[in-house]
Amino acid sequence: MASSAPTLRPLSCWKALLRRSRQQRMCIRCMATVETPVKSPRPPPPLPSSYPSPYKLIHKIREPAKKIVTYPPPPSTRNKYPEPLLEWTKDHLKDLDPTGSRQRLFAKTNPDTPQPGDIILVTFKTGEPFAGVCLSIRRRGVDTGILLRNRIFMTGVEMWVKIYSPNVKSIELVKRAEKRARRARLYYMRKPKHDRGSVEGEVEQYLKRRRLIRSGALGVKDPKASAKRPESSRSGVSAS
Amino acid sequence: MVTKPCHGCLQLPPAFLLPRAALSLVSKRGIKSISTPRETRFTRSRTVPQLEASTAAALERKWYTTPLRTGALGTKKGMSAVYNTETGRRQACTIVQMDRVQVVAHKTKERNGYYAVQVGSGWKHPSNVTRPELGHYAGHGVSPKRHLVEFKVRDEKGLLGIGEMIGASWFREGQYVDARANSRGMGTAGVMKKFGWHGQNASHGPSKTHRQMGSTGGSQGSGSRVYPGKKMPGRMGAHQVTTQNVKVIKVDDEKGIVVLTGCIPGPDGCLVKLSDAIKKPWPEIPPITSDAQGVAEPLRETT
Repeated sequence: MASSAPTLRPLSCWKALLRRSRQQRMCIRCMATVETPVKSPRPPPPLPSSYPSPYKLIHKIREPAKKIVTYPPPPSTRNKYPEPLLEWTKDHLKDLDPTGSRQRLFAKTNPDTPQPGDIILVTFKTGEPFAGVCLSIRRRGVDTGILLRNRIFMTGVEMWVKIYSPNVKSIELVKRAEKRARRARLYYMRKPKHDRGSVEGEVEQYLKRRRLIRSGALGVKDPKASAKRPESSRSGVSAS
Repeated sequence: MVTKPCHGCLQLPPAFLLPRAALSLVSKRGIKSISTPRETRFTRSRTVPQLEASTAAALERKWYTTPLRTGALGTKKGMSAVYNTETGRRQACTIVQMDRVQVVAHKTKERNGYYAVQVGSGWKHPSNVTRPELGHYAGHGVSPKRHLVEFKVRDEKGLLGIGEMIGASWFREGQYVDARANSRGMGTAGVMKKFGWHGQNASHGPSKTHRQMGSTGGSQGSGSRVYPGKKMPGRMGAHQVTTQNVKVIKVDDEKGIVVLTGCIPGPDGCLVKLSDAIKKPWPEIPPITSDAQGVAEPLRETT
C-alpha cells in the first residue's frame, strides 16, 4: 500500500530551511543593534545656587522670617492720668468749695451728714430761702444734688438743689427725721397718704432757736462747738 | 462722564485692524454713552455746570467743607458739669482723653486720589499685630497703634508730618469741633423704638399687632416688592453718629484732656474722633503746627 511518507519528506525539508532562515534573521538584527552608534546624552546644566532644593520644596522648609523693626511707644497720658474725670472733679471743686465744708457735710463718712427724710433749709445768693423734706441725695461729684419737697400755698413743690452751685449760699439741717428712713429715695412722700406737708413750722422753730443761740441768750458760748456735740446735733449742722 | 464724539479728528479703522498700541485710543474702560445728553429742562441751564461723575469731581465738590487740618482721636471718659462762678450757670460737659495720638501715614492725591492723614492712638503690643500691619508701622517709624483712623484734609498743606504727636492743645479753648463716635448698641429693636413710629391701635380691632410696623409697601401698582432700604425692625445703635458744633471748654495738654460742652455720642470708654467743625469758620490755627509737642520719636530699635 502506498504510504504518505514520500509526499511528506519534501515538507520536512522546507521546515529545516525555514528554521535556518529564521536564525539568520535574528543574527542580522543583532548585528544591526550592535552597530548603531549610541549618543551619550549631555549632562543637564547645574542649577543655580539660589534655586530651592526639591527637598525643601516638598517639605516646605522656609527661611526664617525676617524680623520687623518695632519702635517703643511714646509716653502715655492715659497711664499717667488714668482717671481724668476724678481729677477734673477735684480741681473744679477747689474753686466751687474752697473751704471744703460742703464736701465734708455731704461726705458718706460724716455721721452728721443729711439723710433722706431730714428737713433742710437752703439759702440762695439772692437771699431767698427754700426749705423742704429731703427726698433723695444724688452724689455725683460736681453734680451732687439734693431733692427737697415742701408745700407752698397748698401746692406740693419740689426742687433739685445742686449743693456746689455758686448760687447756693448756705445749706442748713433744720431737723432730723424721727426715724431713719429705710429707703434711699422717699418718692412715696409724693402720695397724699405719706405727704409731710408744709415744713414751715419746723423751720420757724429752728430759726428762732438759731437766733437765740447767736444772741447768747441760751448761754451757748461757742455755737459751732455746741452744734457738734451729740446732744445738740439733732439740728443745726450747716455748711455755708 | 460722557465722551464727546470727535468728528473733526482722524477717523480710525475698526479695532481689529489696529496694532496693539493703538487699541488704547479706541477702547476705554467704563460706561460710555452712545448719544450726547439730551437737553431737558434740568440740563438747559448754562449757569449751573453739569455734575461730573468722577472721584476727582466729587472731591472738588467737597472742597469747601473738607477740613484744613487733621482731626484727632480720643477716649470718652465720662460726663461732669462746669459752673460759671460769676453767673452761677451750670453747663454739662464731656471729658475726652487723648492718648499717644500720632500721625502714622499720609494719603496723597497722586497715590490715593485724595489727601488724608492717617492718625493712630494708644499702643498695641507688637506680638498682637499682624506682620503686614507691623511692617506698615515700621516703615513709618511709628510704634504699633491700638486705633487707626483717617482724617481727610483739603490739600497737601494739611498733611502733618509722619510721627508727629497730636496733643490736647491741637484744639483751642473756645473753638468748635465735630465729635464722631459709634453710638451705644441697643440690640434688636422694634420700629417704634428704632424709628419712633406710632405702632397700631390698642383697640378697634388689632389682634396681637400693637407695636408692629404694619405694611411694607403696596401691591401690583408699586411693583409687588419691598424696596431696598425699607425701614424695618432689627439692630439699633452701634453705628457712627456725629455731633456737630461742640464747643471746647478746656484743654489740658499734660493730662491729654479735652473738655467739651454737652454730650457726645457713644458710651464711656468709646473711641471719639474729633475734628474742626465744618459748619463754623475754620479755627485761626496754622494747619501744621511747629509747636506740636514731641516731634518724631527717636528711632530706636527694639526686639
